[in-house]
Parts: sequence; C-alpha cells; structure tokens
Amino acid sequence: MLSLVVYTLFIFLASAAAILRQEHMFQLNSYKPRVHLKRTFTVQLSWLLRPAVALLAVPGLIIGGRWRWLSAAIAVIALLLCMPPKNVKKPLVYTSRVKRLLVTSGIITAALCFLPLILCRGVSFLTAIIPLLSPLIVLLADLINRPIEKSINLGFINEARDMIASSPELTVIGVTGSFGKTSVKFILGKMLSAKYGTLITPESYNTTLGVVRTIREKMRATHEYFVCEMGARNRGDIKEICELVRPKHGVITAIGEQHLESFGSIEAIKDTKFELADSLPAGGKLFVNTDSPGALDRAQAKYPGFIGYGTLDGSVCRYFAHDITVSDAGSHFFLRTPDGELEMNTRLLGRHNVVNIAGAAAVALEMGVEPLGVSSAAARLEAVPHRLQLIKNSRGIVIDDAYNSNPAGARAALDVLAGFYGLRVLVTPGMVELGEKEDSENRALGEYAASRCDTAVLVGARHTQPIREGLLAAGFDENNIIVTEDLIAGMNAAGLRAGGGRAVYLLENDLPDNYL
Amino acid sequence: MKVTVGLFFGGRSVEHEVSVITALQAYENFDREKYDVVPVYITHENEFYTGGDIGDITKYGDIPALLKGAVQVIPVCSDGRLALIRRNPKRFGSNVVAVLDVAFPAVHGTNVEDGALQGFFRTLRVPFVGCDVMASALGMDKYAAKIILRDAGIPVLPALKINIKHYSAHREEVERQAAEEFGYPMIIKPVDLGSSVGIGFARSKEEFFAAADEAFSFAQVIIAERAVTNLREINCAVLGDSDGASPSECEEPVTAGDILSYSDKYGAGGQKGMSGASRLLPAPISDEQRDKIRSLAVAAFMAIGCSGVARIDFLMDKDTGEVWVNELNTIPGSLSFYLFRPLGVSYTAMLSKMIELALKRERMRDELSFSFKTDILKGQRGFKSGAKGAKGAKI
Repeated sequence: MLSLVVYTLFIFLASAAAILRQEHMFQLNSYKPRVHLKRTFTVQLSWLLRPAVALLAVPGLIIGGRWRWLSAAIAVIALLLCMPPKNVKKPLVYTSRVKRLLVTSGIITAALCFLPLILCRGVSFLTAIIPLLSPLIVLLADLINRPIEKSINLGFINEARDMIASSPELTVIGVTGSFGKTSVKFILGKMLSAKYGTLITPESYNTTLGVVRTIREKMRATHEYFVCEMGARNRGDIKEICELVRPKHGVITAIGEQHLESFGSIEAIKDTKFELADSLPAGGKLFVNTDSPGALDRAQAKYPGFIGYGTLDGSVCRYFAHDITVSDAGSHFFLRTPDGELEMNTRLLGRHNVVNIAGAAAVALEMGVEPLGVSSAAARLEAVPHRLQLIKNSRGIVIDDAYNSNPAGARAALDVLAGFYGLRVLVTPGMVELGEKEDSENRALGEYAASRCDTAVLVGARHTQPIREGLLAAGFDENNIIVTEDLIAGMNAAGLRAGGGRAVYLLENDLPDNYL
Repeated sequence: MKVTVGLFFGGRSVEHEVSVITALQAYENFDREKYDVVPVYITHENEFYTGGDIGDITKYGDIPALLKGAVQVIPVCSDGRLALIRRNPKRFGSNVVAVLDVAFPAVHGTNVEDGALQGFFRTLRVPFVGCDVMASALGMDKYAAKIILRDAGIPVLPALKINIKHYSAHREEVERQAAEEFGYPMIIKPVDLGSSVGIGFARSKEEFFAAADEAFSFAQVIIAERAVTNLREINCAVLGDSDGASPSECEEPVTAGDILSYSDKYGAGGQKGMSGASRLLPAPISDEQRDKIRSLAVAAFMAIGCSGVARIDFLMDKDTGEVWVNELNTIPGSLSFYLFRPLGVSYTAMLSKMIELALKRERMRDELSFSFKTDILKGQRGFKSGAKGAKGAKI
C-alpha cells in the first residue's frame, strides 16, 4: 500500500513538471491551441519521450506486491527527466494568466492522479500515462479558464472606458490606415509634445486589448492628448476601439492591399478604415493622405470637409509638401499651410516619410502647436530602427530597411537609393508573405530596381529567382548580380566593386538583426 | 482625472512659519476642477507629514497635537510620479498615502528655497513648480545673484563679500576696506537668508562691528554694501519662464524703521503673511519709472533663469531716481499674488499657470537623453589590483 502511495506521489510530481514545461511552450506558442498541438507533435516531439518513461511503471503496478517499489522508482526517474532545464533562452514568465492556468492544470492533474488511489485502486496503473497527457491537460485547462479570462478582460476594458470618460479634457486622436500609421503616430506624438502632455500607444499595441493596456498602465492626469493607433484585421475592429476611446479627430494614412485575404476586397478595407471617420463627433477633424488614391476617393465621396495632406496634388490638400530634396543628411521640403510656408528638415528618408511628417504636422498645427515647435520636432526625429534607417559605418552608408513589409515601401526605398551617389547596392532576400502575388511582386521589384541600383546582392538563390528575372528583363547587366546564401559575404563582394570609392547599401526586407 | 498636486511647506529654515501661511493661503485658491491638492508639512527636522488637519491653518498653534493626528510619510519615486508612503507601515492594506503628479514647493529660506528641495524633487523625477536648482541657488545667494545680474547689464550696488574666518582674524582691516569702498552708511546682511533676518544698518565703525557680529550668527558669509540714503523700496513680481514672462504691478512696502524688518513684514498681527504687510499698491511712481522697473524685473528674472513666480526687490534713490536691483526672491511670500491681482490675474489663474509651466519643463526634459551608451562597465576586474580608474581598466 505504501509503495502505491509513494508511486502516486511521484507520478503526480512528474506530471506537474511535465505540465510546467508544456505551459512554457504554450506561452511561447502565443497561447494558440492549434499551433501548440501542431508543434508538440512535430518540432517538440522528442521531448515527449521523457514523460513516456513513466509507462515503464505499468508492469510493476499490475504485478503488484514488492514490484510496486520498482514502479515508484521509475516514477522518480520520470520526474527527474521532466524537470525543467536550468539555462533557457526565454524562460516562462509567470503572468497572472499563467498562474491561473497552472492552478487549473494542477487541479486536473491531482484529480487524475489521486482519485484512482482513493476510489479504485485497481486502475491505478492507468496513472502512468498522465505525464504523457500533459499537453492535452494544459489545453483543457485553457478551455476551462476561457470564461474567466474573458470576464477579466471585460473588466479591464470597462476600467479603461471609465478612465477615458472621467477625462473630458483629454482629446483623443485616432490614427489608422493600411500602412504608415505607426510612423504617423510616433511623429505626431513628438510634435504634440512640444506643447501638450501627450500619450501614444506604444509600437505594437493597436488592438482593443493593447489600447486598454496602454490606458490602464500609462495614462496620467497630466495627459492632454492621446494619439491612439488603431489596427484592424476584420470589419468592426476599428469601430470597437472607437467606442472605447471616443476619438475627437482621426487620421487615415493610406488604403492599400495589406491583409487583402482577410478583408475580401479593397472596398471592404476602405469601409473598415473609415469606421474611424464615422465615429468622429460633429466638429471633429478628419485628416486624409491624398497621395493614397483609395483614401482620397472615399474621402471625397463621403466625407466633405476632410483635411487633406500629401505631396502629389496641391489642389486637393490643405497641407501640401513640395520641393522635396534628399541627401546624406536626410530630407528637406516646404509645407504649404493655410498660414504660409513652413520649412522642414528631417533625418528621415523616403517620400513616404515626407508624407507621414506632413500628415503629423497638419494635425499638430490644427491642434494649436506653434509652427516652430512642429519644425523643430521634425528636425529631432530619429528613424525607427530598420525602417529606412540611415547608418554610417565602416562599410560606407547603409540604409537599413529590413522591417519594410510592402511593395510600395520597397519602391520608395529604391527611389531613395537611386538618389545617392557612389556605388548603389541593393541587398535583399526578396519579399515574403504576399501570398499568390509573391512571385509577380518580386519580379516587379527587380524591374523597378534595375534603373535604381548598380549592383544587386540577392540572398537565397531560390526565393530571389523572380527578382533576378525582373532585373534582367529590364536590361540590368547580369555581371552586376551577386547571388549568395550568405548575406555578409554578398555585401563584402559588392563592396569590393566600389574600388576605394563610396558604397551605399540598401538592406531591403525581413533580414534578421544579427546580420548587421 | 484631476492632476494631483503635492503642496510642500515648512522645512528646516528660519522662515518656516511664514511658509506655512503662504502655503495654506494658496491651498484655498487652487482650481479644484482641475487639481486635487495634497498638503504636505515638513517639520523643522525635515520629516514629512500629511493627512489629518495638515491643511487647516487654525491647527498650527499646537504642532505636536497636529502631527499626532497626521501620518508621517516618505516620498518615493514611482514611475514619473511621487508616491508618499507610510513611514510606519500598516500590516494590512495599502501603505501608499498619496501619489502626486506634480510637487509645489511653497517654502521660504535657506535649506528649502535654495535648490535643496528642488534637487530632491529632481532626483525623485517628479515635476515641480518654480525655479529649478540653479536659479533657486542663485536667487538665494545675494552675492552670486549680483554677479549674474551685473553681467546681464542690470544695475546692482557693488558689495563686499566677507567670510567669518577672515573677519575674525582681520576685523579692522575688513572695516577699513568696506569704509574705503563704500563709505557710511552701510547695510550688512547674511548672503543667503531671507525675510530680512539678520540685516543691520551701520552708520559708524562700532555699528559696523555690531551688525557684522549679528549677521554672522546666522550665516558663514555676509556682504556689506553702501546704504542708499533717501531710499525708497519698490518691489515687482514676474510670472513665466525662459520662453516668456510678464511683470506684475509695482508696490512700495511701508517701513517703520530704516529698513524693512521682519516685524514690519510679519509682525503686528502678521497672520496674513506678506499679503497683510503694509504697502502702497500701486506704488506712487511715474509711468516712466514704473515701465523701467517692470522691464528690469523681467530682465532679472530671465538672467537668473527663473520659472514660476519670483519677486524682484528694487532700491530707488529718492533724489536721483536711480534704481538698483536689491535682491530676488524665487519663492516670494504669499507667492506675490496680491501684486498680480490689480492687473486682473486671479490667484487661481496664477497657480494654474505655475503648474502648467512645471509640467512643460518636465516634458522638455523628457525629450533629452540622460544615458550614454558605453562599455566601461564590461570586463571590470575589481579595484584591488591597483586603482586604475575607468580609463585604465581593460575593456
């Protein structure tokens, strides 16, 4: 009998250790059950051998008597095998959600282990399988906890809503668009700070829960403006955020083809982004990027009185950026405003950044920030790392655009590269995550790049094949194409061609940090 | 959401009591639609108390009783805000008594008005109202202020700085030097005290020694300067910061003796502090003189780098009309609200403006970067093997 109790205790501990490990993996898999199951049985399959060792205890339990001590020993071994390792790159973070999951998992595991011992000793041998069941137990616990998590989130949402409601002096400005919203949000935040206490949603927090967290953790009584970035995957997403924060003014930065699959059509994308416009109260201002045709035509059709900003057509925008020049020092342009011309200098590169700055400046000026405050904020802007970031190092000049995620941005980056003097080198592994259009977009990129660079370093022969085709089709000299599997080697080879002269490298798309 | 303002007063200063009056007078005048005000009393031992009757001026007759009913707190930096936590923690419940968005020092005198308290708030990373550390220190040191003002082209009386050690060894020589430079009569005062404490008037050598000895009981360093005969004193306050400031109305304080003394300022039922002292408001001077004084006040404010409200005290020669800056007060009694009222600026509006300026300064400071990427801490091997300092360490 004692042997059975000892065995059960250790099988419980072994299961608990296995649960802890599964919990850790679940967190790394972003709490997505489908992803977790898939990875458990593919990438992480070999680990399952450890809890499987517990199965060796079954014969001893069935035979009974002294042999049960052998089973207990095997349970101890299983426990030791399942203990989490000491040095882990990304350890388990014990958030409140994790703690709740561990409690539920612990209860399920304890029930499964100890109930047979108490109620029906004969089936105790079945408990040997419990460590192996750990992935499923964690998912079951997640399922059970869902209503609790949902109501906790609802509590947070209500708290955030109350905080906004108790701050009638706070002016909320919503920023949305297929791209450019993060940049416009940052720049606008800096410009408004010249005069007002300003809160912005941090980098990636553009979902309802992200906005809720920003409000609950960062909002202060001293904030006068809140610039809220609003992201959308589906219709109604932006409307939901608007109901929460009640924006007074809104900015539509662009209508593009991002996430076309989940939206269905361009019209649906427009409907969704313009949910922000629909949520504005009377007297609220709608700012629209007139360089984006999709945004312009919807604004003109349904939202008279919108305030336009852009660089292409001065007749449709109140804030028009013109005479744009780019150099090693960054960009320089003039912004035409209703009160006169404002000269702007910035370290940022790229026409789209000029548009973003023009948009942020339009909003800031309309909110009463002095022109001098706006232009000096622009002059102090630092590029977001890996987004057309100008770096000067021993190689020469590197334009790091590794985080760019769309064809339009890639073309803008190539335009920037074209404007530099010296040996202009395009370095790219090609664009990814464009679905069906991937090959045709990469080919188009190659064609566009042909006249804008002198040397092309294509990283990854297979994936960059369409780019190569595009380059050649547009008349690019084949000898100037370097195909390589090693980024650094490729850049070195290109650098040699500069002879002692200057080289400018454009790093385009999805390149990992440690390559620089 | 209202902005929570911590109103700090008292402190280890000779003007402790005056500051209680200044603060609790202000306490009644904040815009309660915008601000929640938490009064925090600093005792003579620099302990902080809040809660209970700390905001009630009528309870300050019996301070020990007042403190018994209040909570002693410790200010702590908390994510850009200032948390006041209990000195004696409770076992159950929260020990955070209040969380302040901005600190408002309403303190007078050395140890509090001279940058010490301002530096404390700066270290705690909470925005605070009024002059920053440098301007506070300059405003408090009469001699240093003179140098800065003179450099900015603002008229000041020349002064002789005397320290206690030198004086004790060379009394006669010091007196001779002063007599030669300025002649009698002279004003002798501590270099860094306020509210006219320790000031003496000397018409002769004996009076010089008497005044110097008296002044040295309050400070280690004193100054001597020529006394303006046929003196009129005109004060003017300034509200703003380095981006822009506006002057108040001018006043002429009324004195009982040769110079405005502590009892002139606060005696005779001085319960209303500076605002209750006798004065001629507006000062009976010509428009031309008024304009000159007001623009000199703003110039002095800018030269020292003040923020919030400061009062600049002028000396005027009745006969020649010549004007000099006597001294600067970076936290003036009653915050000089009575000088702005004639111009239509309410005390409430003044206080709101001062708080906005404090928040603005903090916003500007947030834009700067105070850390510098360096590797000097990597690969340190300890200092036992011969101190090489950071530059000699192997990196």
